Amino acid sequence: MTRLIEAHGFTNRVLGWDAWLDIVPLANATPEQIAVLEESHPKAKESDYYLFLVHQPEILRQRSAAFNAIMYAPGGLPRAERELASTVVSRVNGCVYCASVHAQRFEQLAKRDDVIEQVFNDPVTAGISEREKAIVQFSIDLTLEPGVVEPRQLRVLREAGLSDDEILDLIHSIAIFAWANRLMLNLGEPTGL
Amino acid sequence: MTATYDPTTDIVDRVAGLIPGSSAYVTRHRRDKVAVATQLSYEALFDPHLADLTLTERLLVALHACTLSNAPALGAHYSAQLAAAGVNIELIDQVSQGAIGLIGDPRLLAILTFTGTLIEKPVDGGEAALKRLPAAGLTTPAVVALAQLIAFLSYQIRLQAGLRALQALNVPESA
Repeated sequence: MTRLIEAHGFTNRVLGWDAWLDIVPLANATPEQIAVLEESHPKAKESDYYLFLVHQPEILRQRSAAFNAIMYAPGGLPRAERELASTVVSRVNGCVYCASVHAQRFEQLAKRDDVIEQVFNDPVTAGISEREKAIVQFSIDLTLEPGVVEPRQLRVLREAGLSDDEILDLIHSIAIFAWANRLMLNLGEPTGL
Repeated sequence: MTATYDPTTDIVDRVAGLIPGSSAYVTRHRRDKVAVATQLSYEALFDPHLADLTLTERLLVALHACTLSNAPALGAHYSAQLAAAGVNIELIDQVSQGAIGLIGDPRLLAILTFTGTLIEKPVDGGEAALKRLPAAGLTTPAVVALAQLIAFLSYQIRLQAGLRALQALNVPESA
């Protein structure tokens, strides 16, 4: 059903992830830690990623609240376009694990994978419509050059048809993957490659 | 934990220059769950009672991240917090100029070196880079707090930059 796409070390295959330092064994978790795991993700109790981050439960609680509000809230930027931005940011930052997860989510939501193949091959030229190209370009620029964000860059998004509410959702989706990539890339590594 | 959100103390609104009632402010606060979780993340990461990583260390990480990311308004916020905490002005100046090579304390140097790698080229921060932190005396909860802090700052820097541009886009040039 799903077509395998692999390029430059990126893949849309399902991967695992292992932490490089000691996780909190579930049997030792406090009631607060258990509650935060349950708020964070349906499979957090089986995941090295969450069992490592739960060493700091209040920080994880707020991170998960931000992440889930950005990626799953109804209305605004279509969820597939949020996943596209996440995949582009992950591709640019070199986060193979995040790129795999969010490429799969894009494909599930959009029922196509053409732009994922383009993003894996060369993000700079990716996008099958003007709107998609504008989303991809802003995702690259805000990721690589956060110190020089100009109103004209947002005007390009408006001209491609995004409302201000959609632009806000796009800014959030790009920024939250600056956060997510740095946890997945720097605290452990993907397995199953 | 019963953290509460007070919009008048929202740090991203203040640093991005979002004026209450303006178009960009109203747009941002239509996604108030995100604004709340962003502010409460900030408060959790800079909680004075957080163990294992001192508030001074965390504020220096923030200042270093802002310097490397060309985020002067946010950097000024963290500089002011450092000064208010009574941190040596020479140390604040050194970090605000990116001159961390002059830092003699090996623990602080390890923390700021890790910060530089994650901010500038996260793909370069592998297992060896991470394991220099416990070798410099950081506990695992301190490593988690530090990684979350640097990752959050990467988010906060892009969020405030994007919002400042959205605010400017909606203010007529003649105003």
